[in-house]
Amino acid sequence: MTAQLRSELLKQRTTRTNALLLLWMVGLVVLVVLLHVVSFGVEDLSRSDNQLKILGLGTGIGTLFAALLGAMSITGEVRHGTIRPTFLATPRRARVIVGKVAASALAGVAVGLLAEALTAGLEAAGLAARGIHIELGSGDYAQLLAGGALASALFAAIGVGVGAVVRNQVAAVVGLCVWLLFLEPLLLGDVPTAGKFAPGASAGAIAGAIQTQIADDLVAPAVGVLLLAAYAALASAAGSIATTRRDVT
Amino acid sequence: MPVLSARNLTKRYGEVVAVDALTFALEPGTITGFLGPNGAGKTTTLRLLLGLAQPTTGEALIFGRRYHELENPMHRVGAVLESGDFDPGRSGRNHLRTLAVATGIPFDRVDELLALVELEAAADRRVRTYSLGMRQRLGLASALLADPDLLVLDEPANGLDPAGVYWLRGFLRQFAESGRTVLVSSHVLAEVAQTVDAVVIIDRGRLAATVALDELDDHRRSLEDLYLELTARQAA
Repeated sequence: MTAQLRSELLKQRTTRTNALLLLWMVGLVVLVVLLHVVSFGVEDLSRSDNQLKILGLGTGIGTLFAALLGAMSITGEVRHGTIRPTFLATPRRARVIVGKVAASALAGVAVGLLAEALTAGLEAAGLAARGIHIELGSGDYAQLLAGGALASALFAAIGVGVGAVVRNQVAAVVGLCVWLLFLEPLLLGDVPTAGKFAPGASAGAIAGAIQTQIADDLVAPAVGVLLLAAYAALASAAGSIATTRRDVT
Repeated sequence: MPVLSARNLTKRYGEVVAVDALTFALEPGTITGFLGPNGAGKTTTLRLLLGLAQPTTGEALIFGRRYHELENPMHRVGAVLESGDFDPGRSGRNHLRTLAVATGIPFDRVDELLALVELEAAADRRVRTYSLGMRQRLGLASALLADPDLLVLDEPANGLDPAGVYWLRGFLRQFAESGRTVLVSSHVLAEVAQTVDAVVIIDRGRLAATVALDELDDHRRSLEDLYLELTARQAA
């Protein structure tokens, strides 16, 4: 099994796909965080809940890109046909999926840390530049970094599962984006009693905030961890079963 | 025990029967050509043998076992199914390394194979810059990575220049002389007639003939006649 993990880690390092993905993510974080820090009024930005909501932007972007990275690890192989040599080398396909889940989760940790640290740093710099006192404590930042890393790792696993079931790269990427950027915010806004149990909201509960929701409106962090771990396990299992049962064309 | 065998191998996609009760076997130390018109079921048969697709009924066995039951399959079988199975953004060397790591083969062996297929100079370039012939040679290198006893090649001469074809023929001959076995699908009958010991001809998913080339008096001429006769369409 470690052979598959090492092979998947090498695959991730040897194309520019992930580097480009990270570059896009950094650009998006910079744009979105600066827009918020620059355009909001001083009074709004001085409130701790709003400062926390801006941190939640990093969680949203980090988890999205971790999911995309996970999905690309399998849909890229389907697209280019490398899935054939991969399965010839490791015909027990569940092992390949486990290797991809583990490698993507490790990469997800890095993605989450980068997104959250960048968001926190940019917000702090922006607030300082406008002379606004930072109301957040070290506990908020610790939860943001640790929670963001964990949530992104689990989201990378969800991405692998979704990619393995869907197989088509464009469909998987569009599906994940539509769910995380559009459907889930709608759900959380309109039906918060159910929406708070969704994957993105669970990630917010773990990291302290996501998009425009803060922890007060979400489930407890420990519940968020359990929920998101369950989603990741479910997606990985579905991806593994679908991959094992279906023919490779 | 045959190196590779299909027994009553059948694959249906809905109403379409891609492979129809196909039975044949390969003996060790031989090169066998796998022939048939486009759409005859050659590639589907190879996928069934290599465990990439599941047969509807029948058996596809390699060294007496199904592909996924083989311990460390790349040490037994090396296969190239399509000349494009590479990530265009990854270098040839790294493509081989990802497979080497997955099967526990040291990187020295990767360098050895890059030298064998004469890709050393291009090894660190991304595959998108490779010609078709270079991709074929990289595919062959990946199949040979674990020094297998059986080679399965789908149209390996596609895109090779005359020197490359000559080299490949010599290589396969030497490979078979060491007691190992080759199954090679092809459309180029003249090329096949010069390289193989026997042919398996299929048409519309069914076995049309298995012929040892010794049985034909003039290899090149009569193989063509036989092939055309066996695969003639009713409309023709």
